[in-house]
Amino acid sequence: MISLAPQLCRMDTLLYLLVYPQRPLLTTRTIELVGYDKLGAGQNATVAVMSYSGYDIEDAIVMNKASLDRGFGRCIVMKKSSAMCQNYGNGIMDRIIRPPRTGRQAERMQILDDDGLASPGETIRPNDIYINKQSPSVKLSGGSSAGLPDSAYKPSIQTFKGSKGETAVVDRVALTSDDELNIRFKFIMRQVRRPEVGDKFSSRHGQKGVCGTIISQEDFPFSERGICPDLIMNPHGFPSRMTIGKMIELLGGKAGVSCGRFHYGSAFGEPSGHADKVEDISETLVKNGFSYSGKDIIYSGITGCPLQAYIFMGPIYYQKLKHMVLDKMHARARGPRVQLTRQPTEGRSRDGGLRLGEMERDCLIAYGASMLLFERLMLSSDPFEVQVCRVCGLLGYYNHKLKTRVCSTCKNGDNISTMKLPYACKLLFQELQSMNVVPRLKLAEA
Amino acid sequence: MEGGVATNQRFPKIKIREIKDDYLKFELRETDASMANALRRVMIAEVPTIAIDLVEIEVNSSVLNDEFISHRLGLIPLTSDRAMGMRFSRDCDACDGDGQCEHCSVEFHLDVRCDQDQTLDVTSADLMSTDPSVLPVDVAAKSNSSAYDASENRGIIIVKLRRGQELRLRAIARKGIGKDHAKWSPAATVTFMYEPEIRINEEMMESLSIDEKRSWIESSPTKVFDIDPNTQQVVVTDPEAYTYDEEVIKKAEAMGKPGLVEIEAKEDSFIFTVESTGAIKASKLVVNAIEVLKQKLDAVRLSDDTVEADDQFGELGVHMRGG
Ligand SMILES: [Zn+2]
Ligand SMILES: [Zn+2]
Repeated sequence: MISLAPQLCRMDTLLYLLVYPQRPLLTTRTIELVGYDKLGAGQNATVAVMSYSGYDIEDAIVMNKASLDRGFGRCIVMKKSSAMCQNYGNGIMDRIIRPPRTGRQAERMQILDDDGLASPGETIRPNDIYINKQSPSVKLSGGSSAGLPDSAYKPSIQTFKGSKGETAVVDRVALTSDDELNIRFKFIMRQVRRPEVGDKFSSRHGQKGVCGTIISQEDFPFSERGICPDLIMNPHGFPSRMTIGKMIELLGGKAGVSCGRFHYGSAFGEPSGHADKVEDISETLVKNGFSYSGKDIIYSGITGCPLQAYIFMGPIYYQKLKHMVLDKMHARARGPRVQLTRQPTEGRSRDGGLRLGEMERDCLIAYGASMLLFERLMLSSDPFEVQVCRVCGLLGYYNHKLKTRVCSTCKNGDNISTMKLPYACKLLFQELQSMNVVPRLKLAEA
Repeated sequence: MEGGVATNQRFPKIKIREIKDDYLKFELRETDASMANALRRVMIAEVPTIAIDLVEIEVNSSVLNDEFISHRLGLIPLTSDRAMGMRFSRDCDACDGDGQCEHCSVEFHLDVRCDQDQTLDVTSADLMSTDPSVLPVDVAAKSNSSAYDASENRGIIIVKLRRGQELRLRAIARKGIGKDHAKWSPAATVTFMYEPEIRINEEMMESLSIDEKRSWIESSPTKVFDIDPNTQQVVVTDPEAYTYDEEVIKKAEAMGKPGLVEIEAKEDSFIFTVESTGAIKASKLVVNAIEVLKQKLDAVRLSDDTVEADDQFGELGVHMRGG
């Protein structure tokens, strides 16, 4: 069982665990030789190969809500955050102190134990403090840390990062020390996630796809026997990918569940008997009252009428991949900017903007949407007001004290115009100037 | 008949074929697919039961984490004969949903510690209910029937403990429906099939040799036809075993005898199979489903005294009032 697995004793940076792993119904000899069937990485999902609702285009899959409720695709994510209590020598160290139970910070320190560290089992929200650490502000003065007054320490707390509403649980806390007598604190934050729209799944044939929509069980198609699929996969995934193995897996798996035996799914029947030919599988299916082709009559869950086609349905081993929307989804209206260019930052981790790139720009130019282009590239990015001298064409400045505009090259403020440019453009001019290239602006009436 | 609208009212009939506590097979006749399907959908998604919804963990030193155990607890079916009369905790005005209220919630306690060298199974039998009418279904089955083999029933395993590990928690079970979470669905399987009408062309059948008949019968993956040992005639033994696979029709065509058999689905009769999780009896599940369906229709039907409804809905209003 899981308790024998070492991953719950280690302090990994990142760990993804499936909650209810299963042994694949259809294996190969090689899988058994390497023991892959002993370390399940997926679940045997009943898959119906059909189209449903249009949310299954481009390899997306439709999932059954009841299956998800019952634990299909559920996973545990463990992330490590660490902190260090540094030893500066001379007996001076960072210190961890008992959190205040009242006052401004008390709410953010709710999950802290009296030792100043987050206690295992507590729910941690974004911006919660998980270590109440303080560092000495004067690091190299003599004496021991016991002798330093409280005023010599400034807080260096660490907070849990995550988007709003994304909570985790403190799973474990470990303390280690190194040869320089620094103490390292490791916190494992645990999240249990159920699949949501956008999470990625894959069968063992490289047929990956995201969850396109989640539909409740009563709307899902069902068979006369009461079988209701966990997953619906679009048949358009087959012709171009030519994953015959997946179809054999479905047949073999279906035969396997109906006769109670694990089948081998190698491509060809072998004389050794280590594989089952499709003919043999079909025979097993017929023996158990299924069609030899693996197709079933299916009724629409919405209308109750039988569907027009026979549906290829049976179990396929599906794995949950680690790419989950929760870790990727990102949107921003206003937010931080890069200091150098004053443009919005890039990337989800920095709460960055979504770039309107060159090709998108080309589209807007071709369409002639000049106001939109201006708004995207300038107003929503890095607008900057500059003073331009009409005589020398160089940038001047505005003297706030005298409330006058000055050109530092011409030493006067007679011919100065105020205009707006992207800050990055002004930066370019100045960088060129620093390389002895003089960019001159020639202004015309707009 | 105020508006002179022709009524399509029908009087469906139910005939029960087989009845067990957790299994029911019945025929539904003289109605259409929409009615049969509505019944099926309500049984899966809208018949209320009781399930554990809130778990407060005091001590958990087992190998499974708190969320894992809470999820497992939620999926344990509880006897829910009370559920129809209970209130949803969200619209209970006697309490603020903290579980102390008898109208909307039932409290459970679990306190297990392993002090032996053997692995200890924590099962549904360790859940202590504050209401004797709401119990895990396997526990209830054990105490109710003498015919039940107690040695076979080890309870629903929640977690396994080793020496020194402990699990102590308080759980609150609430009323809910399968639409919100599958743990509240009382139905393990609800399915129906259209009753097939099989007509064998006797004349053409007699033109076949006995071997041909046999190979034709064997072409069906399910056992629908057989040969009468006395008359050597092909007879339909079990029409409902037919899965609409059309194998026998294809076989007949391949044998050069198209039209040997004609199979049609009767549009107005359905054979239902209902399996319950044990939360309520399968028969009760059907009755409750009809009750829920009636309540839903009542919400749709307009009351007679709303005059403006006639302007709003016109003929539809008349129809909905049963005209
Ligand atoms: Zn100038
Ligand atoms: Zn209440």
